[in-house]
Amino acid sequence: MNRPSIIDAGLSDGVAIVTGGSRGIGRAIVELLAAAGMDVVLSYRQDAVAAAEVAAAGQGLRITAEPLDVRDAAACTAFVEKVVDRASRVDLLVNNAGVIRDNPLTIIDEEELRVVMETNMTGTFNMARAVAPHMISARHGKIINISSVAAEKGGRGQTNYAASKGAINGFTRSLAVELAPRGITVNAVAPGVIETEMSREVRERAADEVLSRILLRRIGRPVDVAYAVWFLASRYADYITGEILHVDGGFKME
Amino acid sequence: MAVYPKIAEIIAAALPCEIEKVKPEASLIDDLGAQSIDFLDIIFRIERAFKVKIPRGKIIEEARGDLSAAEFDQRGVVSEAGQVRLKAFLSEVPPERFPAPLKVADIPRLFTTETFCKMVIRQQRATAAAPVSKPA
Repeated sequence: MNRPSIIDAGLSDGVAIVTGGSRGIGRAIVELLAAAGMDVVLSYRQDAVAAAEVAAAGQGLRITAEPLDVRDAAACTAFVEKVVDRASRVDLLVNNAGVIRDNPLTIIDEEELRVVMETNMTGTFNMARAVAPHMISARHGKIINISSVAAEKGGRGQTNYAASKGAINGFTRSLAVELAPRGITVNAVAPGVIETEMSREVRERAADEVLSRILLRRIGRPVDVAYAVWFLASRYADYITGEILHVDGGFKME
Repeated sequence: MAVYPKIAEIIAAALPCEIEKVKPEASLIDDLGAQSIDFLDIIFRIERAFKVKIPRGKIIEEARGDLSAAEFDQRGVVSEAGQVRLKAFLSEVPPERFPAPLKVADIPRLFTTETFCKMVIRQQRATAAAPVSKPA
């Protein structure tokens, strides 16, 4: 009997879109999926230099960077259409683009609420809605949403962020039900505290407190999250849908 | 592009089913076994193939004619006046296929291959007749 190689994750030559792929967790996801043989298109909102650096650093890998504000539904549709026009398909969407604007509830202003909900939650909706018709027609595809441990464990000053990620969890489960008849899986990865620019303030402000809540007593690396995304994107996770995979070193609720 | 052959091809590919079964009078749900996600796929493929936009609920909105939504849909059931409008609009559907009472949610059960052909032709005509915006 011919056994498939254990290292053949079934990703070679697939086409992936990773939003917010120019830095941090997004960059690690882009690099790992490209190393696995995928043709990866990353989106970035502002940091064109960082995005170009990601694309250029992947020597011999297929990484393209394109600007996109995921809050703009029409722009999301146009972005996906451009990918499909070039590559004839889209096999994987990783909704990673997200922002954080922490403040206690009583002093969160409208802008801090709006930009977090629109980027994290509505952006996820917009991109999934843009790729879904293509995946439905192809009867194939995977959508992976980057959520957060904050969605279930809470966090001081993170009512807006936690609400947006909680919405992503509900969205993930509902979309999994909706797309299952066409064999499309929808899952989420919920990172804990990861060593990125986005979490720098939290880590600097409350390093000891943060570490005391993590069973494995270390801050996560972006690649720790990327490995989980790789797994859910691979053929090894073909029977997993509607799941929220926590990658948080065992993060305890306070 | 000839409308009917392409619509039949799209329906056969989307469900999927043998193209021979996609006759003009075939009901997508009752004869061809289409599910709601199949309708989404068919509409998407039609929009791409014919370069038209088909807004959600378009068929029912057009079938209503001069009836208001409240006059057409009475607590989820198509009114008598609504049934008259619907039968005239969906003239390709044999009258005996219209149940009485007819639930609004069951209207898609009436749709046939020809229903989609007529929908595309209407959209193409509407697009052709739309005024072209002049540059400033």
